[in-house]
Parts: sequence; C-alpha cells; structure tokens
Amino acid sequence: MLSVVDVSKSYGSFAAVRRVSLEVRPGQVTGLLGPNGAGKTTLIRMMTAYLTPSSGSIAVCGHDTVDASAAARASIGYLPEAAPLYPEMSVEGYIQYRAGLFGLPRATRRAAVEAVIERCWLREMRRRRISALSKGYRQRTGLAAALLHNPPVIVLDEPTSGLDPTQIRGMRDLICDLGKTRTVLVSSHILPEVEQTCDRVVIIAAGQVRAEGSPRELIDQHASNAPAFISVEAANADRAEALMKGLVGVASARRVSPPSAPIASFEVFGRADGSAALLPAIARAAASAGVLLVELRQVRPSLEQVFEKVITSSAHSESAEAHPQPPRPVLSH
Amino acid sequence: MLAVAFREYASFFRTPLGWLVVALFAFLSGISFVTATLVPGEPASLRAFFGEWWGLLIVVCPAISMRLLSEEIRTGTIEPLLTSPRAEFGIVAGKFAAALAFFATALAPTLLFVATLMALARPEVGPMFSGYLGMLLLGSLYLAVGTFVSSLTASQTLAFLATLFSIMLVEFGSQRLAAIAPQPLDRFVSALSASARIGDFAKGIVDTSHVAFFVCASLLFVSLAAITLRVRRWR
Repeated sequence: MLSVVDVSKSYGSFAAVRRVSLEVRPGQVTGLLGPNGAGKTTLIRMMTAYLTPSSGSIAVCGHDTVDASAAARASIGYLPEAAPLYPEMSVEGYIQYRAGLFGLPRATRRAAVEAVIERCWLREMRRRRISALSKGYRQRTGLAAALLHNPPVIVLDEPTSGLDPTQIRGMRDLICDLGKTRTVLVSSHILPEVEQTCDRVVIIAAGQVRAEGSPRELIDQHASNAPAFISVEAANADRAEALMKGLVGVASARRVSPPSAPIASFEVFGRADGSAALLPAIARAAASAGVLLVELRQVRPSLEQVFEKVITSSAHSESAEAHPQPPRPVLSH
Repeated sequence: MLAVAFREYASFFRTPLGWLVVALFAFLSGISFVTATLVPGEPASLRAFFGEWWGLLIVVCPAISMRLLSEEIRTGTIEPLLTSPRAEFGIVAGKFAAALAFFATALAPTLLFVATLMALARPEVGPMFSGYLGMLLLGSLYLAVGTFVSSLTASQTLAFLATLFSIMLVEFGSQRLAAIAPQPLDRFVSALSASARIGDFAKGIVDTSHVAFFVCASLLFVSLAAITLRVRRWR
C-alpha cells in the first residue's frame, strides 16, 4: 500500500535519510519511532509527496510520489506535526475548505464533513475560530481534515502530542479503528502509546532503519539478553545466592529487594546464551537444595528499553563508522 | 484553484490588514478626487485620478500580496496545502486571483467618484472604463510580482520590501536606463516600464500591446511562483 524503496534525502552535505526501504501494509497500524533528528519527519514528508527523495522511490497505492504525485497525494490523509491550520477560520469552514481542495463532489460533501466532525468529536466546536481552540481540538481538526476524503492510506505525525490522557485514549481508539480497514502510519516518541496502538514498529536512527517488526517480535529479539528474575523466602536468601553464583552459565546475580523484605528477589544474568537457558537449571538446583522458589521468570524488556538499546547500539556503530580505530602499531623488536 | 481563491479572498476580510488596505485606499483616493478632480473648471473625467494613482499601487499591491505564500510558509500550512492533490500552478493561481479580486474590491469604493461625476456633469464613459481596466491590469502585474516574491520567503516584511524595491527598480530604473542605453536597447528597456504604459489607459486608449504585456507578464510571475513551490519539494 505504501512502499518505500531505497530512499535517501540529503540537505546539502547532510544526509537526513539514508537508503531506507520499508513496506507499510494495509489493515494494520505501523509505528515509526526514532529520536529527535532521526529523519522521521523527512521520511514522512517524502511519503506524502511534500518532499522529493534525492534517490529511491516511494509508491502510495501503486502511484509513484514523483511521477504520479497528484494521484499519490489524493490517496493519503496526512496530519502534519503540530497540525498547522489557519487561525482565522472556523473549524467547519476549514474542513469545508479542505473538501473543496480535495475535490469532493458537492452532493457528498455535506455528509463527509458531518461524518468527520462527528468522528473527531468536534460537534460542539464546529463554529469556533481555530485561534480560540485548545491544542487538542486543533489536533482533532487537523485529523478531521486528513480523514475527510476517506483515504486508503493515513499518515499521522505525532498525533497525540499535546493531548490530555482522555484525549490520548480517544485518539488511540480512533487510530486502532482506522487500522482495521486502512494503511496507517503513525510517528510517535511516546513508546507505551506505540506498544498499545501499533501492530508493527519501525525504529529509525540517523536516517536509517535500525529495527522493525511487531512490538512482541522486537521485545523477544532483545529478551534473550534480559536477566532471569528469582524470588525466594528471605531465610533462604544467602543459600539461594550462593546456589546461583555456583551455576555454570551464570555471569552474575544481584539482589534487587531490600534486605528487610520477607521475600528476597534476585536478577540473574546469564553468559553467552542469555538467561532463558538458565531457568530450568535454576529450578533444578533449587529443588535439589531444598530452596523454595516463590517466583522464577525471565524479565521481558519494555519497548522503551528495546528502543533505547537499538538507538544506543546504532549510535555506537555510527561513531565507529565516523571514527574508525587506527590499526595497532606493530612492534618491530 | 477555486477553493484556494475563495479561502484566500475571505481571509483578507478576517484580518485587520485587509480592512486597513481598503480603508486607506478609499481615504487617499477620496482626497485625490476631491483635490484634483472635484474642482470648479476641471474637466469631468477621472484622468487626473488615474494619472497619479498608479504610484499608490506600488505600495498597495505589495501590502496585499506579501502574505499570500510567505504566511503559509511561516506557519507551516504550506505542508497540508502542498500535500493536497492540487497542482502548484492551481494553488498559486488561486491565491493570485484572490489578491486581484481583493484589489478590485478595494477599488470598488472609487466607483462613487464615477457616480458623483455622472450626477454633476456628463463625463465620457469610455476613458473611465479604460482607466479602470488599466488600474486592474497594472495591479495584476504588481500582485503577480508580489506573489512570486512571497513564494521565496517566510517573512512577510521581507516579501513586502522586496516586492516594493523590485517594482521601484524596474519603474524608475527603466526610465533612467532608457535615457542612457544605446539605440536598439533603449526601446526594450523603456518597454519594461508598466507605469509608462498606464498613461494611455488614462487617456482612454486601450492598446492591445499594453494589454498583452500586462497579461503575459502577470502570467510569467504567477508561473515563476508555481515553479518556486515545485522547487521547494526538491530542497
């Protein structure tokens, strides 16, 4: 539905997006994640044909954003970051204007405007001037304008920024609802939001795709290095700690509960294979030593932790590329 | 194009600037009419009015056109506009048409002068018609230049000043240059001056070469503005 092939974009000598390829599929919500300056907005602007790629191609519903730009733009509903609007217009006036801009037939225009006003909870505000709206309502007005022409592809750049918790919940439900029937791409830096809303996540950093998959897949990929979590009765704490440290494959064990707690908890880090393989060994060792395990599980990282890890590792590889280690001098004598 | 034109035209009246331009234009033209035309012994025509009022357009037109695209660039509304399926030329032409319509609206109160002359004497209608046509054509050219300049910057002030200076440079510079330019070049340089052509309209002469000049030059600057928007996508 939305296909990005080997796309790059440079501003002078600065490469904002570098050889990005990705596929945004229909019937799901794809989240585009990345730190500030990662190239998210540039990538989105190229997808929506606002900017032309320096190289590579983007197709929206089969229409190339350069060769068939108008058809590609007609297939997209786009909410830019910060929802830029005309402050002197009324909410309804602006939506009517967008209906004219997208060439909605007069016969269906009234119904389409009413539908998006209803869907984006703007009924009470329809006659209000945009300059008098709160940020949340401005965001909804921008969203209503993006949905007006019933586009098969919807691109939302930071749709929840500036919204209160209730509005965020409403926006999340709306995005999930849209994702059932359309191709939805959402850019966000609020990771718990993305985890709940998106079926698929693409993480970009320094203009390149660093990881992609469903939130579960990404978490699973990074779970192998996460520690095992063990809880025992406080009376058995010392024995349990010694037991774990004695196990082959355990790199370290760290007590995470306060000394006075009735239940003592530990994080156990595995060696090369990670901690997943340790769980049966820990269970067996505890059983044979007569130590009752209150809890034994592998810690699953959050999407936020995965994101941080991906970004940190990409930053390291970036600096390694930028400043390669000089070869060690060979001693001649 | 129509959606853009209607929105833009309406927005002139939603901001104080639009009303200020209309009021100032009506006030200054009223003074000119009372002091230059409505004087005993003067002929019942608007020739004096049209003859001196092209100069006011050098300031009024940049004030109308300065926000057309600069404001969109500054506030970011250019992004939803350029991601709509409308072509760049349609967007720019819509904005230019709205500015021209607003200029015509600002000119409308001066029709009272025509009514006054009609009531007091029996003026010739032809020169008045050609005078208004000349004002609209000249306004159209200056607004087209302003539309082009406003597509180049996010600053309204800069757009206003750059348009003003560009027009002044061509209007005053071409007359000076024509006087010193060598033989075949002087005609070309003097032909660039729009104000030199407007005198004929004030006299009641509608020269098709003048009309063609204004229409073609306006179209050229509107097209240049559309090209600038297209180039923005390649930045």
